[in-house]
Amino acid sequence: MLPSLVRAGSAPLRRVVSTFSSTRAVSPRVPYAISSGGNLSLPFNAQPSPSRDGSSGPAGAARRGMGFCARAVDVGDEAASSSAAAGSDLSAPYLSVRIRCRRHDVEALSEALLCFGASSVTVDDIADAENLDEISITSLYADGEDVDSSVSSAASSAGLNYSPVYETSVGKQCDWVANVQETYEPTEVADGLWVVPKWRTPPDPEATNIIIDPGLAFGMGEHPTTKLCLLFLREVIKGGERVLDYGTGTGVLGIAALKMGATQSTGIDIDPQAITSASENLLLNGLHSNQMPVYLVPANAQPSCFPSAIDKSEDHHSTNYLDLKLSRGTYDVVAANILLNPLLELVEDIVGYAKPGGIIAVSGILEEQVSKIKEVYSRYLDRILVSEMDGWACLRGTRRV
Amino acid sequence: MATLKDAAARKPVLATIRLIVPAGAARPAPPVGPALGFYRLNLMAFCKDFNARTQKYKADTPMQVTLTAYKDSTFEFVVKSPSVSWFLKKAAGIETANSRPGHSNVSSLTLRHVYEIAKLKQADPFCKHMSLEALCKSIIGTANSMGIAIVKDL
Repeated sequence: MLPSLVRAGSAPLRRVVSTFSSTRAVSPRVPYAISSGGNLSLPFNAQPSPSRDGSSGPAGAARRGMGFCARAVDVGDEAASSSAAAGSDLSAPYLSVRIRCRRHDVEALSEALLCFGASSVTVDDIADAENLDEISITSLYADGEDVDSSVSSAASSAGLNYSPVYETSVGKQCDWVANVQETYEPTEVADGLWVVPKWRTPPDPEATNIIIDPGLAFGMGEHPTTKLCLLFLREVIKGGERVLDYGTGTGVLGIAALKMGATQSTGIDIDPQAITSASENLLLNGLHSNQMPVYLVPANAQPSCFPSAIDKSEDHHSTNYLDLKLSRGTYDVVAANILLNPLLELVEDIVGYAKPGGIIAVSGILEEQVSKIKEVYSRYLDRILVSEMDGWACLRGTRRV
Repeated sequence: MATLKDAAARKPVLATIRLIVPAGAARPAPPVGPALGFYRLNLMAFCKDFNARTQKYKADTPMQVTLTAYKDSTFEFVVKSPSVSWFLKKAAGIETANSRPGHSNVSSLTLRHVYEIAKLKQADPFCKHMSLEALCKSIIGTANSMGIAIVKDL
């Protein structure tokens, strides 16, 4: 009857995350207010899809036009800016609509706008506008959406007895990318091990510094899961290992392994952005692509699925899947920092890359998700150890012979 | 909105951001990117956190997220289940609501559907205090505004 879409838990999902805004480059104190009361073991339905293959993100061509573009452009310039390729790259525009409405209509109008096509609705702090009866809200839309009809439908649905005044301008994606880039600071993961954003100077030139230009990929060193994996690598890399970074993102783990003495790292990911980012980052760290080949793999990454045809990519790297296929069962260390569902679904794929007796670490999981991972991975791994940081966990073990 | 108001009392709030993000599929692209990027919030941390937290939902289910960005660049977020109108559309098997509600009806659902949606919604943080009856009435109201008739039996 009603498709069982969602089994809502009994508690709100709530998290406090602190962004890295201080100049002290010490591992941030991250107060995670865990309010997940009760039993959150909810049935999971149907085919999980591991992080989207970027089909509707700024993917497609692995381009990353990283120019620091101008800020939101006025409607007058729209003709110029919207001639850029729509949707799939960083200069694609989006619409920013500033709407004025009465204070007490804000809630209803915000909800309604989301129902009628807005991608997001932002309200600047109400307390600041104590004395004003009218406040502004900003609504973002994908380029090409019919803003006028959306706003009027939302207004009537919210029960407004007036037509709110609004003004549309065009924003470009690289606006916000640049914004976020500026916030990254060097992170000291452990004694003598730093992850440093490309445009910052390493605070300790003598330390092992991993230089990263994140782009739109994950892995800047500040997230607990990245740290847990880096600490894991530091513990297990003695020199000469072959390492697989499964779900490489920015390539931070693969690069770190090489800097710690591994002979070769291999990075794989389903996201073309990750491949671009990792390829660039390894060069930034003075490494050669031979030391760290990166492969774009299909989202349903089972070994038998790899196309026998070669090289679908355009630029940096060779996607010689044959090499990757042949490397199965040969890695000394495998690190997979992804998400619960892909980890469960791809357990055989992940474990299969390690040599018998090889060490595998998986992360990107919350503490409450550890038991599920343990249940599945203990069929393949011995000597399982779990480390935790700020509500996140990393599970490691050795592949059964 | 009790919980968010409490939060606001503790720390100065910069902005409240509402988004719809598919479960397990937050990416630093729109809608997340521009909305959070504007306030220089840690996008990647949000995506990782949100995706990890929504692993229990069917992939790509459109979750309603409300983020509170504080002036010290930290943020908090709450995830709610999809909107009532989304549930109604799913149940009725339609893509868009009726543009002329009251004049013509797109489709029909039964009270049983309404009840099931109410049960799901009651688990939401902001609906806990509502009785099932009140939730059902609210859902019926939404259905009517979408041109979906609620009948006893189909």
